[in-house]
Amino acid sequence: MDRNWYFRLTVVLAAVTVAWLALWPSLGSLNPDGSLARGSILPAGAVAPKWVRDTFRGRISPGLDIRGGLRLMYQVQVEGYITEERNRVAERLLREVGVALRLLTDEEANDPPAAKLDAVRERVTVKRVGASSIRLVFKNEADARRIDRDWLAENHGQFRLDASRRNGPKEVFITYRDAQIEEMRRTAVAQAVQTIERRIDALGLREATVSGRDSDIIVEVPGADQRAFDEIRSIISRTARLEFKIVDESAGWMPGPEVQLPAGVERAGGNLTAKGNAGRDALASFIEDLPIPEDHTLAVGDAGESEGQTVWRVYYLLDATEVTGDDIESASVQFNEQEANRPVVALQFKDRGAVDFEELTGRNVGKSMAIVLDDRVMSAPTINERIAGGRAQITLGSGFGQNLMDEANNLVVVLKSGALPARLTASNEQMIGPSLGPAAVREATKAATIGIGIILAFMLLYYQFAGFVADIMVLVNLLLQLAIMAAFEATLTLPGIAATALTVGMSIDANVLITERIREELRAGRTARAAVDQGFDRAFWSIFDGQITTLIAGVVLFQFGTGPIKGFSVMLMIGMITSLFTGIFCSKVVLEWYVRGLKRQHIPVG
Amino acid sequence: MEFVKPGTYIDFMRWSRPVITVSLTLVVLSILSLVVWPKANLGTDFAGGTEMQLKFRGNINSEELRAALDDLGYSRPDVLAVQGKRNEFIVRVSEISSIPVSRQRTIEANATRAFAEGGRATEFNFSQGGDKILLRFAAAREAADIESVLERAGVDVRAVAPYGAAEEFRYEVQLVGIGDEIVAKLSERLGSRGPEPALRVEWVGPRAGEQLRDAAIKALLYTLAFIMVYVAFRFDLRFAPGAILSLAHDVLITLGIYVLLQREVAISTVASLLTVLGFSINDTIVVYDRIRENMQRERGKSLREIINLSTSQMLSRNIITQGLVVACIVPFIVLGTPAVQDIALSLAIGVLVGTYSSIYIAAPVTEWLDRRFFRATSLVKQAPRAKTAEASA
Repeated sequence: MDRNWYFRLTVVLAAVTVAWLALWPSLGSLNPDGSLARGSILPAGAVAPKWVRDTFRGRISPGLDIRGGLRLMYQVQVEGYITEERNRVAERLLREVGVALRLLTDEEANDPPAAKLDAVRERVTVKRVGASSIRLVFKNEADARRIDRDWLAENHGQFRLDASRRNGPKEVFITYRDAQIEEMRRTAVAQAVQTIERRIDALGLREATVSGRDSDIIVEVPGADQRAFDEIRSIISRTARLEFKIVDESAGWMPGPEVQLPAGVERAGGNLTAKGNAGRDALASFIEDLPIPEDHTLAVGDAGESEGQTVWRVYYLLDATEVTGDDIESASVQFNEQEANRPVVALQFKDRGAVDFEELTGRNVGKSMAIVLDDRVMSAPTINERIAGGRAQITLGSGFGQNLMDEANNLVVVLKSGALPARLTASNEQMIGPSLGPAAVREATKAATIGIGIILAFMLLYYQFAGFVADIMVLVNLLLQLAIMAAFEATLTLPGIAATALTVGMSIDANVLITERIREELRAGRTARAAVDQGFDRAFWSIFDGQITTLIAGVVLFQFGTGPIKGFSVMLMIGMITSLFTGIFCSKVVLEWYVRGLKRQHIPVG
Repeated sequence: MEFVKPGTYIDFMRWSRPVITVSLTLVVLSILSLVVWPKANLGTDFAGGTEMQLKFRGNINSEELRAALDDLGYSRPDVLAVQGKRNEFIVRVSEISSIPVSRQRTIEANATRAFAEGGRATEFNFSQGGDKILLRFAAAREAADIESVLERAGVDVRAVAPYGAAEEFRYEVQLVGIGDEIVAKLSERLGSRGPEPALRVEWVGPRAGEQLRDAAIKALLYTLAFIMVYVAFRFDLRFAPGAILSLAHDVLITLGIYVLLQREVAISTVASLLTVLGFSINDTIVVYDRIRENMQRERGKSLREIINLSTSQMLSRNIITQGLVVACIVPFIVLGTPAVQDIALSLAIGVLVGTYSSIYIAAPVTEWLDRRFFRATSLVKQAPRAKTAEASA
């Protein structure tokens, strides 16, 4: 045997050894009570030694149907979503009424001169009422009559006039139609489901399911790993609403000295500050009720550290949000040049967002821009110049090392998958048992064993020695596939067991093709050695083309698929690669040894 | 041992016309079965269902409960034990307590008329799952009053509760539905071990919505396009349409038969159709490969003969591989749970259809294209005799 053959043999043996070590720890976790092993090919009670468990950390985890998992229920705060939609309308309404009163032209409505807008304000005030209504208070009745049913139908068909709730003829009271509220509720829940699905996909191959109903969202996560649950929880319920707002440095919002401040909140340098998480929450709830102009808003943000605790301060912001997380094309974790160990999240805007961002920064040179994430100011850098190119970065608050890194990674996941349309509150959480009983799992493993058994027996009978080699390759292939699944931390469900058995059935094709070819070559009168060489050479391209086309299908499915389809495509690709390896590479090593090493003149191929 | 004697030559192409006719008919029938009759039987994954949480008075395990629900005629009940609580289960069935739209209208008309006095009903909506009515009145109304009006209008009311802001006079009416039916039937069957009144009953939305469907379709189309390019590049442009047609053929017919058998379409069905796709490509390519090889070896033969020869040579391999894959699937049909049985069934259909299409769809289409559009630059060099014969014809 030549050196090349020894090299290939080493590769095969190394692959098998590593695969076994990678799979070993999973056998224990898949099969805690030995129930999976009965009547199946998995060896019972195979507990890996500690060093193996420590080196190979990936495990195949049993899916929801086999072992159950955690079931999380969230309620979508639809009210908040509706209020926001209403606020968006209210922001535009003043200008639209201005047009209706002929104080503004259609062109001016988008960017009205301040003087003209003041003229509109003279004649009407827009007030937000409750969660879903708006009250317009006019100076005179004739103006109020302009905003009639027809005007509303044309401009805001989703609203209706509610005469019963206005105080006199100088007012117009509009409120969302019920059908519209129902529609918004559905949209909010559907969007939330999609966003959560994207977020879970971004976490990897976990076969979690997401479903929505009325205003609830149910997420089911397989397994029992508390760390994984924590990660999923933190990623799901995060609204991830990112906004860029301009800071108003005036102190018009500050409560007078007579106002009683809550415990932990102090006056400092024309602002309010608080320390630690408790202080932050007290501060946040205190500023919620402060009277401020309608076009402004208050938010709490990080102001550095003191005595090991984060100090929080209040930011007085212009309410108008021109650039939001929706305008982000991508997000990634990067490291700051000055502080090498502090990760920042770098953002790249979409084309439209980049233009808006450039305009926003251009208009506000010299002012500060607050980066607000979920109503908290992450940072508020001063705008030194117009920022073109559509890039921005978020510096993370206080925190250290791994925590900060996890925080940065989570932020990237949630920013990429988009903001939730409304806030979620966790409403219920329970551990659930498997949806299938142990009997069903046993039957399925039995079926898989029988199926693979039939293949092994047939190959041995029909192709004799070549069949025996193929059988070994089938088992090696199964080992490799499971090992790769373990490395990917894949979830094994009952349909997954069926799919694995099927891939094994399909992987036998390479051996059938090669052996049939060897048979043909022997019939054509070649020596055993030449037949083996020719068999592999000629069968190679048809196997290769067949597998490559299947691989194309796998790659495309991975690219476009979501959730279960993505998981499936990965299994498909793994199967293709391992069966190319065992079918062509490994079997060749064995058959070459037989005809060259042992120098047999005759090769039993049935 | 040999299934197919070496040197066997079968004139497959002789039957290509009638067989293609049959295939086309099957494809049309499959499309009809999808859009006209009997239409896909969508499972909870796609259509949603009813979910309830039950606590039992006596000891019961999930297998027994599942069997009981199965016996009572609920299709595919999902039974999940709530961990840490004895005898508490989450039960999901695909039935929903939906009232037909025509009856909803009558109920709405009757009730609105009855509500005309003292606080008119300004809104009257059945919830998406058909298990609730959402009402809004112009003025406050008594819950008991609402209940009696609705009962008279023809619905069974379980509870009436106000919700939302007080000045909006909104009420949510829970109707007696599938949940109560299940509790009643289980109590009757299990006696003293039976369930307490349901802790909660809710309609659940589908797990796989339009997003999954759109992604699957998009993925399918892109797969077909990329494979076409690959085949055109590795083989010849003429081979590509045949491969694509046979793939589309396989997926459609498999789905058609599956729908005709009225098996439940779930997320896993999508996955198994995609497996069929992968398998079918593989099969077609293997036959193509042999055709390409024989075109170089057997100069002078017509493409038709080469296809026959190649298909005959690959017959043994096809029988063995297909047979083994089916052998691998059959145990799941026999032993599996209904969900696994469905997956196995769709795969078995797909594998059989796929084998046949690589013989009778892919190669004949290639031959036809070559004959019809590429006569001057045919894939095969015809013997001079054949050329003159064609020219004189």
